[in-house]
Order: sequence, then structure tokens, then C-alpha cells
Amino acid sequence: MTVNSLKNHPHLAGEICVTLNWQEIKELKSVISECEDDKDMQQMASEVLSEATEGEKKFQVLLLKSLLPKDDADERDCILEVRAGTGGEEASLFAMDIFKMYEKYSVKKGWKYEVLEVAESDLKGYKEAIASISGTSVYRKLKFESGIHRVQRVPVTEKAGRVHTSAVSVAILPQADQLDVKLRNEDLRIDTYRSGGSGGQHANTTNSAVRITHMPSGITVSIQDQRSQHMNKAKALKILCAKLYEIERLSNQSSRSKLRLKQIGSGDRSERIRTYNFPQGRVTDHRVGITTHSIDDVLQGDDLDAFIDALLLREEMDAIALFSST
Amino acid sequence: MRLSFIRPISCCAVSSPTTLVKPQTPLFLRPPTFKTTLTDLKKWHLWAKSLASSVGSAFLNLDNGPDSNQLLRELNWLIEDAIGTPKSILEQPHKSRNGNSTVLIRTCLDELYVLWKQRVEERRPFQYVVGCEHWRDLVLSVQEGVLIPRPETELIVDLVDEAIKENEELRDGLWGDLGTGSGALAIGIARILGSKGRVIATDLSPVATAVASYNVQRYDLEEKVHVKQGSWFEPLRDNEGEFVGLVSNPPYIPSKDIGGLQAEVGRHEPRLALDGGASGMNDLIHLCDGAVSMLKPGGFFAFETNGDEQSKFLVHYIETKKQGSFSKVKMVSDFAGIQRFITGFRGR
Repeated sequence: MTVNSLKNHPHLAGEICVTLNWQEIKELKSVISECEDDKDMQQMASEVLSEATEGEKKFQVLLLKSLLPKDDADERDCILEVRAGTGGEEASLFAMDIFKMYEKYSVKKGWKYEVLEVAESDLKGYKEAIASISGTSVYRKLKFESGIHRVQRVPVTEKAGRVHTSAVSVAILPQADQLDVKLRNEDLRIDTYRSGGSGGQHANTTNSAVRITHMPSGITVSIQDQRSQHMNKAKALKILCAKLYEIERLSNQSSRSKLRLKQIGSGDRSERIRTYNFPQGRVTDHRVGITTHSIDDVLQGDDLDAFIDALLLREEMDAIALFSST
Repeated sequence: MRLSFIRPISCCAVSSPTTLVKPQTPLFLRPPTFKTTLTDLKKWHLWAKSLASSVGSAFLNLDNGPDSNQLLRELNWLIEDAIGTPKSILEQPHKSRNGNSTVLIRTCLDELYVLWKQRVEERRPFQYVVGCEHWRDLVLSVQEGVLIPRPETELIVDLVDEAIKENEELRDGLWGDLGTGSGALAIGIARILGSKGRVIATDLSPVATAVASYNVQRYDLEEKVHVKQGSWFEPLRDNEGEFVGLVSNPPYIPSKDIGGLQAEVGRHEPRLALDGGASGMNDLIHLCDGAVSMLKPGGFFAFETNGDEQSKFLVHYIETKKQGSFSKVKMVSDFAGIQRFITGFRGR
């Protein structure tokens, strides 16, 4: 096999490395047994041997990983949607905390975090907020954040000091472009849901809200926060594409990857995945059963990796288990 | 400075093409050299919010003007443009900063009071208050004497883009933007043209040509866009028959409707850019007539109109009076469903 043809079979390259490594290990072992009189030589050989054994293990893991099925969305950017659920104003305030947690986390990761739309509640919490996050492996890192995040704390609105339980739903959608979802202009209806009038030169308005309706699916997306109609439209289209892509992914997923998803959590927005308990200062992830007692660090985006890394490891282990069982 | 911005309409007239107009720098581009305290800024913010809230839907009912919600959104944008460090300083919890801490702003606090009063009480357009308009992916400088580009007009750039994608020859040719105002269309089109593509933008108003030149320069397009002062095709005589495309958003409001316009428009925007004569179509007809000799065979045109009735009239006018000169003439709707544009091609 030539080097060039190896490039087309990276997993074989790994295999060959492992084979070479095996040979080296075999030789080192024979050196050790043959040089019983030369202690220095023996010592040196066993040092090299332990390095080689270590290296060989790493190779094997890498090789295994390279053979595991991958989510092709892993490298994509994502759309983050946070919605206040049960719990009224308190849920909206917590939705804002969660939204900002991901912003801080993104900044720390060197990702670009762009707010697309915020619907404020009366107390300046967020009824709904949408952001676009872009950078390296954004979707891979954040995909397991989808689900219900529950909060237990004394709301600022609570006079009697009782602890309330509220919920916020988070959705992470991989970003897609119009080609990914084969979007056709004729399937879109774009309108400015403004009150009548002649428009054009007659009107001076800074309201350039745009609503896009995808007629085949009936999905509508409205954006009004941007300062130009063109930008409102671009953002609405971005969200629409992500939604259509997600629908397509869910319906196309093979039974095998569905199984993988099931093991960590359905990815379903209605599944309760995490609880933030303020009186006890703890955050618990119900899927990996991990609890951290630094709730502030989590909300500052510092400690979120504790969960994310555990979930990614779990995904990998599940995949390995599934892989070796088939 | 109160009211100094309201110019008599006649000052924009033809007589002095050499008038030097110095374009104003938009608020967001000025250096943050003014200092205030967080407490004072918050005080101003509260005052401004309550002024905006007091409007309710009064302007909306009166002349389709802005309601409180719209004004409050504009207030957020004013803060965004005025504050040196925009990170929602006013929303931050009290613990992290004390009231005496300094905030850097791009104009003095007194001026912020004046500006917001002008916005609400005098109905001065928000875009003149901050000196810019966000249009497509551009931020264009605007000031009194220049029409604020409208969201509907953004679509003309998309129409040009579609025409170019269908016939790549248009990408490297000469384009004309007649009555360019702030330069919006010329700049929007220049950015989708190829390396040889050029735009000539004309306007009768010296304020408009000064502002358009400033915007062209801000987007580094001096090589691609030439701004010339003069009426419609007059500055283009040397290039007759050379254009692969012509676009325009000419004045199209019938004279009798000018008095009833929304206050932001009628009281503050230049009549020169709005009043299209008795039928509103004086300039549009002039443009359709002129396009025959200015466009190359196969050249494209897109003009904005007052909507359904004017568009229908103009399509009919071209098909009967300019028989054989144009092909594929059609009306195109804006996002509000109004037949806002007419487009077509010069016959080959």
C-alpha cells in the first residue's frame, strides 16, 4: 500500500501505526530478556517499552474513535432558543440567566455569540430569546443542552420567602443554509406585519419587522429587533433554515443513531435535564447524575464544562458500547 | 441649535452647484469624549422613557406615526449609538458599579436631552437624530436635506442581483442611480458588481451629493461609484447608451398629498425628494422616456413607484408609448404586498 492510497484510508493508517508499534514492543521485550547482564541497557529498554505501550493504547483509542459513527452536525454552528416555561415572571428571569450563561460560556470558548431576538417580560426577564452561536465544534459541545432546565429558588417577586420551582426550555439547533434544506423561494411568503398605510416615501418608520412563512410546513419566524429590514429578514431566514434542518434530521435519522440519542436523553425539549437549586447552591444533571456545588460558577459559564465534558464522554462510551456489541 | 435643521425647501435648488456642504458625522462614529456619571445617565434614561411612554398611540392615530413601543425601541438604539461602551450599562445590577462611576458618551448629556425632545416633541425623524440609517447591511449617514432611505427600497438591490445572476454581462457594466439621495442604491449595487462594474449616482441636491460622497467614501467605493450633481440624466450625457442598468427611487407622491404626510416626513424630509407633481409621476415618466436612449440593448431598469396605481399606469405607458423599446416589463411587490416597483429590459 502506498502512502498516497493511505491518505484515502486514514483508519488503515492508524492500523499500520499500531502494527509498527507492536513490532517495536516485541523487539524491546526481547532486548530486555536478552540483556539480563546489562542493567543499564535493560533499564533503558523498559523505559522505552512503557512509553511504547502507552502510545499503543492511545493509538487504539484514537483508532476506535475514528471508527465510531459521527453526528455530521457536530462541526456546525448552532441556534440557541431559550423559552420561559411554567413559573411566570420567575421563569422569564431565569430564562434570562440561562441565556446569559451561554453567552458567557461562548465568550470564554472564543465563539461568536449574536443575539437575534429577545422578547422581554414585564420585569425585564426574557419570555423568549434566540441567539446564533458560531465557532469551532459549537454544536458538538452544546447539543446536550437541549431540554428542560429547572430552577428552585426564592423569586424576587416572592414576599413570603418561599422557594418556587420554575422551568425554562432550551433548544440547540444546528445551523443550516438554504442549500442544506433545499429552500425554494416560491415556498416562502415574506411580509411586514405592519398596519396599512401607503408605505414607501409616505412613511418614516424604524419598524422593519419581517415575518417569513414557510408554506409547505407552516413554520413562521418573525424578527423585529434588527435595525434594517434586510437584517431582520436574514436572521429570520437563518432561524427558519435551522428549524427545517432539525425536522429533516429527526425524520432521517437511522435507527442506530436514534438509539445513541436515547441513551443520553431524547434530545426532546420536554425532557427535564438539569436542576439549578439556589438554596443549596447546587446544579444537578439528571442524565449523567453529576452534581456541582458551585452554582454561581456554572451560571457565569465557568463550570458548565463539568457537565458538557461528562456528557460528551458518556456519548463516546455509549457509542463504543454500541459499536462493540454489533 | 433648536430648529436650525429645518431648512426652507428652496435652498436645495439648482442655482449653486459649487456649494460646499460638509456632511455631518453620525453619532455612533463620533469619539466618546464626553463624560457623565451613571446616575445622571440613568436619570436621563428615565426621563426619556417617560416622555416616550406619554405618547401612547396618539401619533399613530394622528398620522400613522410611531407609538410608545416604537419610540422605546428607538431610545435603546440611541443609547447604543451614544454610549462609548454599549454593554447595556443602564441595565446592569447596582452592585457592580456605583452611581458616581464615569460613563463615556459621544455627545454631551444636555445634547441627549435636546435630541430626545426633538424626536418626540418635534417629531424629528430618529434617523436624523442619530445621523444614520441602517439599510440592508449598511449603516448610511443621513441628515436634514437628504431623504432617509426606506426599507422597501432595499428590494431594488435584490432585483438587480437577480438580473445580474441571469445575465452576467451586467455585472461588469455601467450602472446609473438617479436621484441617489444618501447614495444607498448606488452603494448597495456597487457591492454586488464585478471588478469592472461602475455606478454613476446623480442628485440635484448639493446636500445629497455631499452625503452620498461621504457614504461612498466610508465604504471605500470611490473607485466604483461616482457621484455627480445635476438633474436626472443631465450629468450623464457623456455616457448615453452605455448603461447596462438604471435604478431610481424618484419623488412620487402627488403634490396634493404632501400636506397630509406623517409629521416625520412632511415636516422634516426634503420636499424635493418626495413631491412628484400633480400625478406624482412627473419624474417617473421622465425616467422611462430617458431610459430608452441611456440603456444599452439588454440593459435592465428598476424604478420605485407610489404603488399599485402608478405601477399599472407606467407599465401601460411603456407598453403603448414606448412600444418595442422594452421587453419583460413587469410590476414587483414589496413585502407589504403593494406593487411597488416596475422592472424591465431595453429591447435588443
